[in-house]
Amino acid sequence: FFTAHAKEKSYSPPEKPTQTRCRSPEKETFTCWWEPGSDGGLPTTYALYYRKENSETVYECPDYHTAGENSCFFNKNDTSIWVNYNISVVATNALGRAFSDPVDIDVVYIVEPNPPEKLTVAVMEDKGWPFLLVSWEPPHKADTRSGWITLIYELRVRLEEEEDDWEMHHAGQQKMFNIFSLRSGGEYLVEVRCKPDHGFWSEWSSTSYVKVPDYFHREKSMWIL
Amino acid sequence: CTNGQVGCHVLSLDNLFDRVIQHSARMHGISSDLHSEFEQYFLPSKNQIGRVGRICHTSTIITPNGKENAQRMAREQLTEVILKLLIAWRDPLWHFHQSMAHHHDFNNFSSNKALEMNDMVHELRQGVEKVAEKMQVLGIISNSVTSLASPEVLLPSDSADWRLMKDYDLLYCFRRDSNKVQNYLKILKCRIVPNHGC
Repeated sequence: FFTAHAKEKSYSPPEKPTQTRCRSPEKETFTCWWEPGSDGGLPTTYALYYRKENSETVYECPDYHTAGENSCFFNKNDTSIWVNYNISVVATNALGRAFSDPVDIDVVYIVEPNPPEKLTVAVMEDKGWPFLLVSWEPPHKADTRSGWITLIYELRVRLEEEEDDWEMHHAGQQKMFNIFSLRSGGEYLVEVRCKPDHGFWSEWSSTSYVKVPDYFHREKSMWIL
Repeated sequence: CTNGQVGCHVLSLDNLFDRVIQHSARMHGISSDLHSEFEQYFLPSKNQIGRVGRICHTSTIITPNGKENAQRMAREQLTEVILKLLIAWRDPLWHFHQSMAHHHDFNNFSSNKALEMNDMVHELRQGVEKVAEKMQVLGIISNSVTSLASPEVLLPSDSADWRLMKDYDLLYCFRRDSNKVQNYLKILKCRIVPNHGC
């Protein structure tokens, strides 16, 4: 009785997949990911179809592998910008199929770069007062040199012991930044992120740690002398 | 600024480029803001706006749709594409502003933005023409940029098609074209003066 009941209950057409998001890291390629619904207890396959603006032709996803499970990767040749892509995902099993709601994207507006790279922090000195010289490079995938993508940067800095107390700094298009008013002997954490002019902030870069020397004691001992 | 005037400061090419790029960025920013306002306004009936084949009146202008295409284009051609796009928006933006001014659902704020876009497209075109002239004087591009001699030649053949477009579609197309202009200007700048912020 139990098996019969289970069989009766568990087989059904798939639920419709939900399209989570599409992202381009550098305005030259992009990837879309979806979330499968229930598979109805049967082997279910997923396919992504797209149609480009002002064209009637429907194409299937060119590459399901490069970006991992439940994703579709569009390489440089498959990516045009200033053209809308109408995208939907279809789940199919032996009992039927289900379409996701379609999404419309223009690659220009889905750019989220990778975080900046090679973040370095050096303690420098100006007239006996220390300051941090922070420098970094744009994510290597983003071709900023050609002018195709322009990035702006934001830094956050905090003392090791003051968790969640980040201090933010806007660096504009610069790839270096000086931080003053440091606590003597303080241990600082520095991170940086970037954003294209019409897109989203990257994640924060890896953290750089730095210890400021005990300059206060040095100053004081001078006074005592 | 004629030669030899006192206090007349001749701008370098990279400086001129930076100015037009900044201007194009502001213009695109305004069109994006206005576009989002429109989206909010139309949101309850969003079905109306999507789907319909939204063909821009500038779609007959062949524009590079990727980095490599843009980089492969000759400097003269890319300059011409930028000017063509700007010229094609002259009349539609003026009418768009007029239409906004008479649209009671929009506040003065939006209407002012429409006027601002209209002014900016003029100024930007003048700016790009200056850059192009400078490039010709310096021998960076040949004298084959036709738009400098007779801009009307560059109007798309079906240039009056915009009259059939709805305000929302017009704005959608302008947002896209102003983004193209900004991008092409940056590509052009980085090819010609690569050491200045590229």
